[in-house]
Amino acid sequence: MISYLMICRSLTYAQRTAKTLERTGITAIVSRTPHDISADGCGYCVKISERRLNDALAVLKKADLSPKRIFIMFSDGRFSEVPV
Amino acid sequence: MIYLDSAATTLIKPPAVAGRVKWAVNNLASPGRGGHSAAMAAADTALSCREKAAELFKVPDPEKIIFTLNATHALNIAIKTLAKPGRRALISGYEHNSVLRPLYDIGADIDIARSELFETEAAVSVFDRKITPDISLVVINHISNVFGYELPIYRIAEICRERGVPFIIDASQSAGVKRIDFKALGADFIALPGHKGLYGPQGTGILICGDRTPEPILFGGTGSASRLKEMPDFLPDRLEAGTHNMPGIAGLSAGLDFVLNTGTDRIDAHEKKMLGIMAKGFDCIIGVKAYTVPGQYSQTGVLSFNLRDIPPEIVGEELAKRKIAVRAGLHCSPLAHETVGTLPAGTVRASVSAFTKPRDVYALLNACEDILRSR
Repeated sequence: MISYLMICRSLTYAQRTAKTLERTGITAIVSRTPHDISADGCGYCVKISERRLNDALAVLKKADLSPKRIFIMFSDGRFSEVPV
Repeated sequence: MIYLDSAATTLIKPPAVAGRVKWAVNNLASPGRGGHSAAMAAADTALSCREKAAELFKVPDPEKIIFTLNATHALNIAIKTLAKPGRRALISGYEHNSVLRPLYDIGADIDIARSELFETEAAVSVFDRKITPDISLVVINHISNVFGYELPIYRIAEICRERGVPFIIDASQSAGVKRIDFKALGADFIALPGHKGLYGPQGTGILICGDRTPEPILFGGTGSASRLKEMPDFLPDRLEAGTHNMPGIAGLSAGLDFVLNTGTDRIDAHEKKMLGIMAKGFDCIIGVKAYTVPGQYSQTGVLSFNLRDIPPEIVGEELAKRKIAVRAGLHCSPLAHETVGTLPAGTVRASVSAFTKPRDVYALLNACEDILRSR
């Protein structure tokens, strides 16, 4: 399954991001940022399904929340950055 | 025991507070230190507590709610951020040592805006006169921990904002009792304890941050941006190094539920009623000097008094023998006593909470009469 990972600046920010998405019916899971895409070391990200990215970005923009970076996670475990 | 020392710590808490503390000890790990369920449950508890505090104090962004050990810790961060050696800092004449000592340590040039007890207009006037371009920081105590005197923080805040002077509010006695609107005040920082009017456990406090980047006083792991040598530049992580006091935060969250559900107006009205009974009672006892405005009883939560020339510490001991808990002496606020003229001995302080009952107050009044009769 392909997912998007929204890298957040802090755990609190990731929680707020996920909560905001969940409130609009977009399933969002807070998890540790995988090492391969964590530039500064430990961090948290919000995982959403592939087909909800555009909806999620619109919701977050409205809530004045912006992920630091977004990656696509392929089913084989590879990552690729998506320009925000 | 009859507990009338809530200005130090509220001892009688809503039952849910202890329940949440116990639950946290058994179920919560550390937020930001893992992705497992116990760590994420801790993170959810912490966020929920921040959101409740943000709701109560009208803070738009819960990330600006910082967990501290107590109000002193919060004040130290705020003062360390804004005060500079040799620069002038203006404070009220009712500040606690948690303001005075950090300012002295930094080497700030401290100026005191003194005004008479319970003279609100005089307080506004002295701040208005003294907030000049050379003032780099103003610190205002919302409610005196010695006299229960409420300073007009909204009006003083307006003067600070108009003149572009950063300011800090010490809400140690007012948080959970008075309406505090962070957005309307426009303060740089508000410091408050979790264990007093918010009914959390000891070891909890909150610093509310404005737009200025605060300076950490504690450095270490935050579970974020770990490869950086410096503390992260984002909140709350910048100010929350090390493992969180999760039992404390969980208990504080339950305390916030109580305050939000009850409402600060109701709590304030109840405390005023208790102090009104106390003040009127003292008016009728010969030999009591109570620090009130006769007929107005305008103080909040706290009432200071002395019994004839009996040293306050002796009165405190006599009351303790009668199973009544008060605090005697200087209450870590020698400046407030200097302002009012109650140095060197200080006063006896009785302080109430949402759980104080009229019978507690009558017991204090009877005990004071008894002490006066016996000496």
